[in-house]
Amino acid sequence: MSNFFLPRPQVAIWMGLALAAGQPALAQTPPPGRLLASNCFQCHGTNGKGPGFESLAGKSSAEIYKDLLEMRSGQEGSGLMVKHAMGYTDAQLRLLSGWLAAQR
Amino acid sequence: MQRRDFLGRGAAALGASALLAGCGGGDDDSASGLAQEMAAPDAQTLAVSPARPKARVIVIGGGMAGATFAKYMRLWGDTVEVTLVERSATYTSNIMSSMVLTGQRTLASLGYSYATLVRKYGIRLVVGEVVAIDPVAVKVTLASGQVLAADRIVLAPGIDFDPVAGLTDARLMPHAWKAGVQTQLLAAQLAAMPAGGTVVLTIPRAPYRCPPGPYERACLLADWLKARKPRSKIIVLDANPDIVVEKENFGPAFQGLHASVLEYRSGVVIDHVDAAARTLYFAGGGSQQAQVVNLIPGQRAGALVQMAGLANATGGRFAGVDVLDYASTVSGASKLHVLGDASATTQPKAGHIANQEAKVCADALTRIFAGGQPDPAPVTTSSCFSTITMKQASWLHAMFQYDPASAAMKLVPESFGASAGWSGDNLDDMNTWFRSLMSDTFA
Repeated sequence: MSNFFLPRPQVAIWMGLALAAGQPALAQTPPPGRLLASNCFQCHGTNGKGPGFESLAGKSSAEIYKDLLEMRSGQEGSGLMVKHAMGYTDAQLRLLSGWLAAQR
Repeated sequence: MQRRDFLGRGAAALGASALLAGCGGGDDDSASGLAQEMAAPDAQTLAVSPARPKARVIVIGGGMAGATFAKYMRLWGDTVEVTLVERSATYTSNIMSSMVLTGQRTLASLGYSYATLVRKYGIRLVVGEVVAIDPVAVKVTLASGQVLAADRIVLAPGIDFDPVAGLTDARLMPHAWKAGVQTQLLAAQLAAMPAGGTVVLTIPRAPYRCPPGPYERACLLADWLKARKPRSKIIVLDANPDIVVEKENFGPAFQGLHASVLEYRSGVVIDHVDAAARTLYFAGGGSQQAQVVNLIPGQRAGALVQMAGLANATGGRFAGVDVLDYASTVSGASKLHVLGDASATTQPKAGHIANQEAKVCADALTRIFAGGQPDPAPVTTSSCFSTITMKQASWLHAMFQYDPASAAMKLVPESFGASAGWSGDNLDDMNTWFRSLMSDTFA
């Protein structure tokens, strides 16, 4: 709840628009991590559900994040996925893992 | 290792703050009750174009970028009407098309229909030729006289070729760089070439479509010549000063594996040709005659981009775009977006990353139609496999993060690299990758 008061321009704009239109204070936004996770779809299928390499949808967030961290550490050889995991920031890995885990 | 770890953590910290500053951070928003995540539409709703759309988008061109955009705009866009305008009833994949030249694949196996996009995602398909685009009124006129209006127009016309002096008949020196009739022509010319013949493959100055593609084709044809055309050779004439990309694999393949049949010459620019005599004349003197010439000319954005007046980058050859939403940077044309090979960005012109550019654009328009702003920190991936022989492949990978300082997609150095050599396993992976990529784009 403390984050509510962080200055965030987007939220302010949304609130302004919603109030101006006389609507409840509600705006729609894409789920966090979805656009990041869509970088997985080319090889793991739309929404991580195949066809392609290992299916990702529905694995736990912790498991996906841990696998990606291991690859990112460079200790897991020199495969394509090692390079891929190295392209994200830690915050991005958490976001995309969370989104993939929510797919059923 | 220590240094890389340090750099990695620095980048992570930056990324996290950028995300918090701009993305909204879902948990915070849910807690505050100010924002609601868009629910994914059910399959039945998705299958029908909305009766009362919140916005309308016209996509012109149904290749890797255009088809992906159409699909994801419907999947993510929340009652957005999507009309796909395409001149062909089916798409023929450029990816894998060099294997048609060696007889390993048929052209038919590379055909993709738009039927699934129409049936599953409620996309309106119009097969026709665009003759005019009005960037201000946001209207498209077709050759049939039909006029389509929308809130946004997305152009994904791919590439066109520069004219080649003396090439009076393109069939005499096929480019085979847009899969289709040209691919079949080149395959037939190669098959008919007597043993002991010479094949020439020319590589244009960058930027061109699929940076590793010509080198991959040269390797594949070299391997095929060894097996099928004894005493034949392939000469690669590269307009660039050196191998453009993945030199760590193409270099050893050219100088080692295929050295007995392949000759590579860099810095050779084709000035003009004698098509009937199958002879190429070089800028600055010199010439080369061959039995089969695969002439890949210089490239520019598809004619549609010129028609709409959007070719304001790369010396007037490609379309400048804002990579947060792929809107044109031409003044007064901000409701026109350009995706894929036709746009001028720091990203390679290739199918895999065109698919991701399309997703960034669909996500941005989803946010814009809901009264928001594009994601301020998009990430894109370029990944591909190259046939080094008929049975072995290599891979190449790169990722790009948005860099606010340059307002460009910036290569992440740690993510950039190629396989250590080539293997049969990589060729299996190439087939898996291709099936998955095409499914994510067309199904």
